[in-house]
Amino acid sequence: MTFQALFTLTDLRVILRETAPQHDLDEKQRVETQRLLENLERQVASLKQEMLK
Amino acid sequence: MRCASGIEARQVDELAINIDPIQAGGRLTGDAMKAVIAYGDGYSVCDNCRKPNRLDYISKPPIAEFHKDVAAWLNMDAVRTVPGARRGFQAVAHTYVQKGDPVLLTSLSHYTEFLAVEGAGGIACEIPANDQHIVTPDAAALKIEEVKKKFGRVPVLAFIDHVDYQFGNMHDVKAIAKVCHQYDIPVLYNGAYTVGILPVNGKDLGVDFVVGSGHKSMSAPAPSGILAATTERAAEVFRTTAIIGDVTQRKFGIKEPEMMGCTLMGVTLIGMMASFPQVKERVKHFERELENNRIIVDGLLSVEGTKILSEMPRKHTLTRADTIGSFDKIAESHKKRGYYFSNALEEKGVTGVIPGATKIWKFNTYGMTKKQALYLAEVFIDIARENDLPLRT
Repeated sequence: MTFQALFTLTDLRVILRETAPQHDLDEKQRVETQRLLENLERQVASLKQEMLK
Repeated sequence: MRCASGIEARQVDELAINIDPIQAGGRLTGDAMKAVIAYGDGYSVCDNCRKPNRLDYISKPPIAEFHKDVAAWLNMDAVRTVPGARRGFQAVAHTYVQKGDPVLLTSLSHYTEFLAVEGAGGIACEIPANDQHIVTPDAAALKIEEVKKKFGRVPVLAFIDHVDYQFGNMHDVKAIAKVCHQYDIPVLYNGAYTVGILPVNGKDLGVDFVVGSGHKSMSAPAPSGILAATTERAAEVFRTTAIIGDVTQRKFGIKEPEMMGCTLMGVTLIGMMASFPQVKERVKHFERELENNRIIVDGLLSVEGTKILSEMPRKHTLTRADTIGSFDKIAESHKKRGYYFSNALEEKGVTGVIPGATKIWKFNTYGMTKKQALYLAEVFIDIARENDLPLRT
């Protein structure tokens, strides 16, 4: 799960690079960013559950 | 934010459009960034190293397969990974050049090619570029004849850059290699700016070696690169060790002296491997990169007095600009001198131009989106407008 979250953050990093410097996301990028952030929240929640049990 | 004490997190490419001439083609793909996270530990690719204990035989991760794939991709017979293109030059020079041997370079060759020749004791013999900054096959033939007269023998090796680092100009390697082979001179193709950027076919070019740079053009961490060879040359440059210890009688299996045994044993190799599928794909679409470059060059040229010193139309995204007649005029009286230009670029989210440079400077537009290219072209025009520089209509 650690890697999954790190890899999701990496995908977000790639979007930041592709949209620099204005980070004005088009519709496709917004949808993808939304999906990645939701995944990240789930992954962090799982990490909390696994590591702090 | 810091990675560690005294080490700031680097966010250059997240915050700005980076047109640094040497950095554009080496930016990691997302997959390479992920691989770097997972394989950061020292000898991380060696978990499953088994006999015959050599890097290019490891099958998990698929390093052996990667070597075969790269050779096929370049249409060459054998490939090794090396710590940067320069180590490829060094291995080849060390194999073929003896003290006092003449070696063919060009007046646009990279300094590391000179150092490789020097390290082997060779003498640099440069093919001069013409006044368009192009190295021609005719000039190569003339230089070989000149060397023959001076040394009583032909050069033992030729280093030819397909795209040079000074102008980003493209040179006719295929025709130059043909000339060299007429004199039995082996040819090393320097693809530091082409392997991973545009299609390269070693057999079609008729070269003996292809050298590429992982960190310059294959979206890999530094130092990384590849050295590819034909079967005939591979037997020479990738020869295996024969040394035996006189006390221990130790031998060292199939390790290769020119490679110093294994080469890229961790994050550099895994980064290059992770990027490879995207690199293979992107070379097929180099025309998009040239189109983005054209947008930016047009933007620059719309500022009166600006010149492009590289060949036009552009065949590569690395480009040399002369803004003595435009942006440099402002620097003469600006309170920040030449720094006004790089500062203005930075303020608009563009980085990679040498701070203070307003006369002659290089940039590389590789790897940006069309939207970024349009933005960058507009940035140059905006800076001109803000400083009352005339625009061509």
